[in-house]
Amino acid sequence: MDGAMILEWVIKSIFLILVMTGGFAYVTLYERKVLARIQVRIGPNRAGPFGVLQPVADGIKLIFKEELVPAKADKLIFTLAPVLTVIPALIITAVVPWGTEVTLFGRTIKLYLADINIAVLYLMAVTSISIYGIALAGWSSNNKYATLGGLRATAQMISYELALGFAMIVPVMMAGSMSLVDIVESQKPVWFVFVQPLAFLIYFIAALAEINRSPFDMPEAEQELTAGYHTEYSGMKFALFFMAEYIKMIAISMIGSSLFLGGYRGPFVDQLPALGPLYLFIKVAIVLFVIIWIRATLPRIRYDRLMQFGWKVLFPLALLNVFVTGVVLILVGG
Amino acid sequence: MLTTGTIIFGVFALVVIASALGMLLSRNAIYAALFLVLNFATVAVLYLILGAPFIALVQITVYAGSIMVLFLFVIMLLGAEKLPAGEPLGHHRWIALLFGLVFLAELALFLVYRAGMRAAVNTPPLEFGSPAAVGMSLFQKYALPFEITGFILVVATVGAILLTRGEGFKGRKRTLEIQSQDK
Amino acid sequence: MSVEKPVVSLADLCSRYEGLLVPDERQGFEGYLISPDHLISFCRSLRDDVGYDYLSSVTGVDNFPAEQMEVVYHFYRTTGGPSFNLKLQVSRHNPVVPSLVPLYPGADFQEREAWDLLGIRFEGHPDLRRIMMWEGFEGFPLRKDWREPFFEDEAKPFKSRWPDGQVIRSEDQNPYKNNVRYPNDFDPEQWTPVGDDALYKGMLNLSQNIQSEFKTDQIVVNLGPQHPSTHGVFRMVVVLEGETVLSLKPVMGYLHRNHEKIGERNTFLQNMPFTDRLDYISSMSNNFGYALAVEKLMGIRPPERAEYIRVMMAELTRFLNHIFSIGFLLNDLGAFFTPALYAIEERELILDVFEAVSGSRMMCNYFRFGGVARDLPDGVLEKIKELVNDRLPRKLEEFERYLTKNDLVRIRCEGVGVLSPEEAIALSAAGPILRASGVPYDVRRADPYSIYDRFDFDVAYGLHGDIYDRYLVRVEEMRQSLRILKQVVRDIPEGPIMSGKPQYQARVPPGEAYGRVEGPKGELGFYVVSNGKPNPWRYHVRAPSFINLTSLATMAKNQKIADVVAILGSIDIVLGEVDR
Repeated sequence: MDGAMILEWVIKSIFLILVMTGGFAYVTLYERKVLARIQVRIGPNRAGPFGVLQPVADGIKLIFKEELVPAKADKLIFTLAPVLTVIPALIITAVVPWGTEVTLFGRTIKLYLADINIAVLYLMAVTSISIYGIALAGWSSNNKYATLGGLRATAQMISYELALGFAMIVPVMMAGSMSLVDIVESQKPVWFVFVQPLAFLIYFIAALAEINRSPFDMPEAEQELTAGYHTEYSGMKFALFFMAEYIKMIAISMIGSSLFLGGYRGPFVDQLPALGPLYLFIKVAIVLFVIIWIRATLPRIRYDRLMQFGWKVLFPLALLNVFVTGVVLILVGG
Repeated sequence: MLTTGTIIFGVFALVVIASALGMLLSRNAIYAALFLVLNFATVAVLYLILGAPFIALVQITVYAGSIMVLFLFVIMLLGAEKLPAGEPLGHHRWIALLFGLVFLAELALFLVYRAGMRAAVNTPPLEFGSPAAVGMSLFQKYALPFEITGFILVVATVGAILLTRGEGFKGRKRTLEIQSQDK
Repeated sequence: MSVEKPVVSLADLCSRYEGLLVPDERQGFEGYLISPDHLISFCRSLRDDVGYDYLSSVTGVDNFPAEQMEVVYHFYRTTGGPSFNLKLQVSRHNPVVPSLVPLYPGADFQEREAWDLLGIRFEGHPDLRRIMMWEGFEGFPLRKDWREPFFEDEAKPFKSRWPDGQVIRSEDQNPYKNNVRYPNDFDPEQWTPVGDDALYKGMLNLSQNIQSEFKTDQIVVNLGPQHPSTHGVFRMVVVLEGETVLSLKPVMGYLHRNHEKIGERNTFLQNMPFTDRLDYISSMSNNFGYALAVEKLMGIRPPERAEYIRVMMAELTRFLNHIFSIGFLLNDLGAFFTPALYAIEERELILDVFEAVSGSRMMCNYFRFGGVARDLPDGVLEKIKELVNDRLPRKLEEFERYLTKNDLVRIRCEGVGVLSPEEAIALSAAGPILRASGVPYDVRRADPYSIYDRFDFDVAYGLHGDIYDRYLVRVEEMRQSLRILKQVVRDIPEGPIMSGKPQYQARVPPGEAYGRVEGPKGELGFYVVSNGKPNPWRYHVRAPSFINLTSLATMAKNQKIADVVAILGSIDIVLGEVDR
């Protein structure tokens, strides 16, 4: 392992984190704009041309807000919780490939941070520990709304993780590898979404539940729990939760694109590898749009129905899908 | 002989021991659970150092990500984070201490007399713990126990789903009654 | 639904209580007086034998300086017909009256209000606490000898402002200074709400009795007063087990401004714009109810054209209110503002009409005693015709298409917050709530006012009494409003819009009147007592939002916490009217 290699890794890591945080800022703007257009409004348009500076203004506002810590909160965990929420969100996309490889300054650079042969398992592991931040935030705030929100989040995420896992296994079975690069490459003839629409649907629904987006935003159900687990958070601590939520949105869009929508693959990408990131970006933007569209349209499902749906519909369906896929693969592959 | 690997191992081993002690000694059940999570995560790092990333990630997913979340959930749900003050063990403490010491001595003896084990630890087979190797052993060598376990889990899931069956949504169209002008 | 035929006629019952039941023979008053000892037995017969099953309004009148107070009850039959008024006269020193809550649970909040504001003690009331003012408040503000802080004069217009014409700060020259009194040993800096602990403890005990098998953890959660979905500053104290609501108590009064006391200081006409501020979504309806009450006292009727304009405005208000409430019900179900914003698109067009006729979009102040303030400007009728025939029916179709058949809406709304017809009547629920529970009672039909008896329209009622039925009833009511509006714009005659010439001061002869309209939120009643002076002696509002909240606890019981918010949304309250 030479020094240049390590330097390349460091640069790629920093680049990834910067893209994710910058992406977070502009996904908020994207969401507000899309919501506004759907609701026959204009949306933020004051800060900069077309409101492009709005995220900056929001950030500055949040930095200067007073940080309140409730008197009876568990101070250590209260401070730790937002950090624990952001870290999994930031590291989860490390295994997602942006493209094959490009030549830059005479050096061949692979457009992914890590191509490990257990990438899908890595995704599962990071998803499973991302619950902690939310659960602990709810518990440490010493607030009933927050506690209820934290409990809801925990139960919901445990429930939907199973369906999510089974949905992610399907592309693994199809590609015969857990590496995301292999999975993307094996979608060269046809995207998995066309072969496995059900798995994609299950993945999408379970992922929405996993990141607590509407219509599964129980943990922060404004109508009954005010803001759920982050009721007591303000200033930058709140911003971290906010950031985690939006980065997770980007992350599930990227992962979903890679698993089912052909990732960085697209026309002429073999001839011109630099197109890879562009294709991925377009796909992510489309998936994000659908997520926002859902938020703008659907009422929230009630919590007990949500759990019922997860366990009684989604989970058996995902299991069955894996089973059928397995049988078909054996029959076809001989 | 101090190599980089040994130093890294030493640091993480200390973290493992410290977090285990923290789990035992903290008086707040949430902190205890979090120490245990830290412990599991650090053990996972040890697996990584040993060149078994698959096992490391399974360790994180299963222990840190699922089992401990469930623990935490139950603790939060019951509001049982505050342990009662006072001595829960009483005079059992001495017996516990005695057994603990005996166990420690046993381990030490094991290490001293079976030094050959160390070599095995230092050089695991290259394929040890890779997804393919684990899959092979699960589906060939241990196929029957594995299938039985899977079957029991599916039965348990189906049972739980049936037990909690609620009333379904009836999708019939609903209309209103109308009281007209000339009733 | 089948209604039992009354076994006894009202005259029979009155003759049975010969001597105990005295007709009120004061000039301009009607109804009967009864002594407190016989109230319960009489009311039981009145309810069970004669069929007056709906207690619309309970209030009190302070007859200061006479050492006497009156409690006034208005009973109705849910099968229709005029009211039966019953009065009790008690001493002012120690006014004690038997509570009607065991017979008519709907009297709950109204009796608490009368105790809070007038100091009338209702013996046998299960929970007689202050409802608008805070525990520990000194005095009973609606009594005539109670004077508010910065009290200046008994009646408006105050001398400091008119006729002298100078604008001064009344506090500067106030002979009574700020007139703020606290109870003994009260320190506003140290004060914490008492009563709340008792409330929580009582609720926990109550719910623990229900528990039999397991002893589980129950927590008290305050939804509000600062909460995104209580539609204002309103609090629901909820005992939860897991996510299930074991019991609920509404706590209100955070926006209380003693509307009625201010109304009694105002002149009759000054109250007209003041009624706009009750339910600020549907101010035209409020105007209508108050105008009816005072016109009843004055014995005048508006000319034909004015009647048509009034009905037109009232029905437009109903439409406007219902699209608003359905839109925000969806918000309460967790949809992120899109349905609400789409729903109120047409509201803007209706508000344009209001602005054209009255000069204001929300606080219209359009009705006058004996007519309306201005005639319709040119082009407004065409605009209304276009709305009624084209734009608004399309909105209704949109509701049908996107909401009525929406599975998510139905899953969240069906079977949730059920109120049976018996409960709805007993709890004095009104408007869409009552009708959704299967009681086809609409004041426009049951006790027609203005010119509603001329129009063809249907009264829709539900069979399940859940949120979804309330939604359906509202949609159907909008359709019927459009039907009425179509007839109005077809038939509206030319002519004057005021009877007599406009007056600055209404001359109201002594007497009492209870004017009620079918407001969008339910039966809106104004009880006005005049003693011949320019100011009303008593001005009471029977606010539908307030009284409909009586049934919230029944509806929310054993529901999930997420549903409580939806149930509250389906009641459709406006805090300006609840707290008054």
